Amino acid sequence: MNHHIVKCPPSYSVCTGCNSCEMVCSLTHDGLVSPSCSRIFVQQGPTQIMRFDVFTCQQCEDAPCYEACPLKDKAMCVDPNGTTYINEDACIGCGKCQRACTFTPSRINLVKSKDKSRRKAKKCDLCKDRPEGAACVQWCQAKCLELNDKPLTWEMKEKGGRA
Amino acid sequence: MTEDHTLFGYVGQILRVNLTDSTTEILPSARYLPEYIGGKALCSKIFWDEVRPGVGAFDPDNKLILATGPTTGTGIPTGGRTTMCGIAPNSLPEQFASGSIGGRLGTVLKYAGYDALIIEGKAPKHTYLLIDDDKISFLDAEAIWGMTVHNSQRSIMLAHGPEICSMVIGPAGENLVRVATITTSNDHNFSKSGFGAVFGAKNLKAVALRGSGSVQPGNIQKVFELRKKIGDPPQVVNRIEPQTEVGKGTNSVRADWNLCRFTCSPGCTARCQKVMMGTTSTFTGELVDQNEKCVSTRAFGSIFDSPFPVWCFIASKKNTITFAQLKSWGKGQVPDDPDMDVLTSEAFAGDRLDYFGMSYDRGIVLNQLCNEFGLDKWDVCMWCFAWIGMAKKENLLDDLDFGMEPDTENVDFVKHFITCMTYRYGIGDIFAEGMARAIRTLGKEKYGDTTYHGRYSADGSRQLDLPVSVEAGWGQTYHWTGRGAQGTPKWLWLINSLMFMVNTRDPIASGHIHAKTDSVRRFYEEGPSTSQHLIDMEIRNEWDSMIKDSITACEWQSPAAFWPSQEAEMFGAAIGEEVTADELYAYAERARLLFRAILMRNHGRCRDLEVPQVYPNMTYPDPKGEVATWDEWNDIVDRYYRTSGWDLETGWPYRSTWEKAGLGYIADEMEKLGMLPPEGRTEYIRKPNPIGR
Repeated sequence: MNHHIVKCPPSYSVCTGCNSCEMVCSLTHDGLVSPSCSRIFVQQGPTQIMRFDVFTCQQCEDAPCYEACPLKDKAMCVDPNGTTYINEDACIGCGKCQRACTFTPSRINLVKSKDKSRRKAKKCDLCKDRPEGAACVQWCQAKCLELNDKPLTWEMKEKGGRA
Repeated sequence: MTEDHTLFGYVGQILRVNLTDSTTEILPSARYLPEYIGGKALCSKIFWDEVRPGVGAFDPDNKLILATGPTTGTGIPTGGRTTMCGIAPNSLPEQFASGSIGGRLGTVLKYAGYDALIIEGKAPKHTYLLIDDDKISFLDAEAIWGMTVHNSQRSIMLAHGPEICSMVIGPAGENLVRVATITTSNDHNFSKSGFGAVFGAKNLKAVALRGSGSVQPGNIQKVFELRKKIGDPPQVVNRIEPQTEVGKGTNSVRADWNLCRFTCSPGCTARCQKVMMGTTSTFTGELVDQNEKCVSTRAFGSIFDSPFPVWCFIASKKNTITFAQLKSWGKGQVPDDPDMDVLTSEAFAGDRLDYFGMSYDRGIVLNQLCNEFGLDKWDVCMWCFAWIGMAKKENLLDDLDFGMEPDTENVDFVKHFITCMTYRYGIGDIFAEGMARAIRTLGKEKYGDTTYHGRYSADGSRQLDLPVSVEAGWGQTYHWTGRGAQGTPKWLWLINSLMFMVNTRDPIASGHIHAKTDSVRRFYEEGPSTSQHLIDMEIRNEWDSMIKDSITACEWQSPAAFWPSQEAEMFGAAIGEEVTADELYAYAERARLLFRAILMRNHGRCRDLEVPQVYPNMTYPDPKGEVATWDEWNDIVDRYYRTSGWDLETGWPYRSTWEKAGLGYIADEMEKLGMLPPEGRTEYIRKPNPIGR
């Protein structure tokens, strides 16, 4: 299993639902705050239940998103460490990677725009070019997020693979 | 999405929805911003431009204006809050007022592309509004009309997806209960103004929101700097903490429950929202998480006064971050502080009040009923239930038919009474008008002004008078106004009384005094009644309150006494410009005067209306037995008006005051209305004391 972002169990630290991971993600990558650009998503449990699930790319070794990309190695790429990432300059926003993601919800975001040139897929690249590492881990106030390389259990996959 | 941003921090559009004819209009934000900042300042400007005098809270012409601030949705901590303004049903008389709310609401509104939302008109049938980016739908709400708050939220999520954000009313709002709330996210409410009843009057059950757009702060590097500084001390794990009692200090009762802290709005680094995990739902028996913060603790009992926690808002050279902030980050106070005498000066066991006893079960039920029906807990717990407790002890309830024995200790009575109030059954119809109006309907002399004899000083040595109805002014109950369940030192209740006086609702929601221990020492040295520093700090506190409700920032984290430029830096980071604290205060003064202008033009606000409004409260002893005389209070008001550049006789600003704030157009309007006093008039004839004590 490649490195990916995981949410720590509540016995260690409970996610406060601050959405900061989402916000710093798009701020770091795109210079703005947008749910369409975030590569990590926070979803609250049912009404009156303070449970926050964090969804992001699990960096699957078989990388179906990579396989589905019509411009693989140009748009969807894999670096020497096995981290799958998107080269947005080449991405045509076709959405095939998003549909190929085996998780629900899909861990790949798709920017919608009337301007076709702005339609891009967005997914976690672990901030691989960032010296400080993943921004969401750096800025999580509750220390809920960290990098890990343990595989997801089947039970977790059945539940939609919560981080 | 990711469209060009012409205004950093803002998203450029204001959405107007007319419920009467199901039409919408887009206004350019640049018409008002950044001159009127956002939030309350923006709401005030739109209201000034659009709502004429004489409009009542339930008139279709009343407008509810929901506004975000430039920091909302930018990732700047504490900036996720949102303001709503309009004519408030729970102000007495009905007046222009504001409310502030946490949750995701404002952030999602900006993601949808709007800095503000103006709701006007009245829908011909029960309706809810769906704002899905640029697609606005007026949807039939018949299926959810009558539902409780959380069922309404669930139904909207089922219909439109789990990511949908909504603000909804419960049955209280539908039945035009004047203390009805609007709820979003996890029990975040617009409470004290009673705007939930305005939703009801407009046949509006809910507003559902989804946005896929973006917010672009002007200075991203500064955003991250602020995240680091406001988040200091950073990165502390968040644990579920088992508790063995519930309540505050001397008002606590043994109970086993689990506390966990959460963040109130997106991007914040604090976790001020205290939640009771896994409590049993009064309605379904299922385990639910419910808020425990602040007024909710009062539902568990009210035996003792809760003296003002000075350390929550006052900072010292050693404890530069207040204890309230430290607690939000899971940290403790710095020990060995030479200013600890001031920080802990009021942290004693206050007066014995004996409003009603401690009960975990009653607290859970009362809080959940308020949350589900959509009722303002402050009015219910702090005023109504205190009144029932006191009035019963004074044998005032014998002639009133509650449908069962009024007993605040009886959970069945609690359920019965709150249900009657929400659905306007029997005597509940009277209390649905809010406590201020209910007391007047019943007869204020007997049911409001009768002295309660069950209040004693902390050591039990002195009986201290208190009226059975704890009204602070403008139809609002006590909130750090010095006596009752909200004991404070005199310097503080004088400051808060001034804030109440010039407001239309309880102003403390964003108006807790934030100061240094040095200021507190000066208040004592100069004498609270004669201290000019107290007046200066009060006016600064009004500016701070306006700034918090406008840029937006949160009451618990802002302002920081030893970081006076915090809000200016937040505002600057959002809009991408250098803004100094003095420049932001100038914005705030403009907004403060604009609020004053609305009160004058729309509600005839003047000295003779506001000075006596809050005075009666001061004639009852505070925990130390202190009161204020009529002349003492008027002298303080004179100093306040003079310092503000307002006429002593009328309380109206001079032309020079308006013009200095860039509001010459308001001076012109006031001149036409005959509300422009002669410049610099210093003589006036003081009115006699209207209550004779």
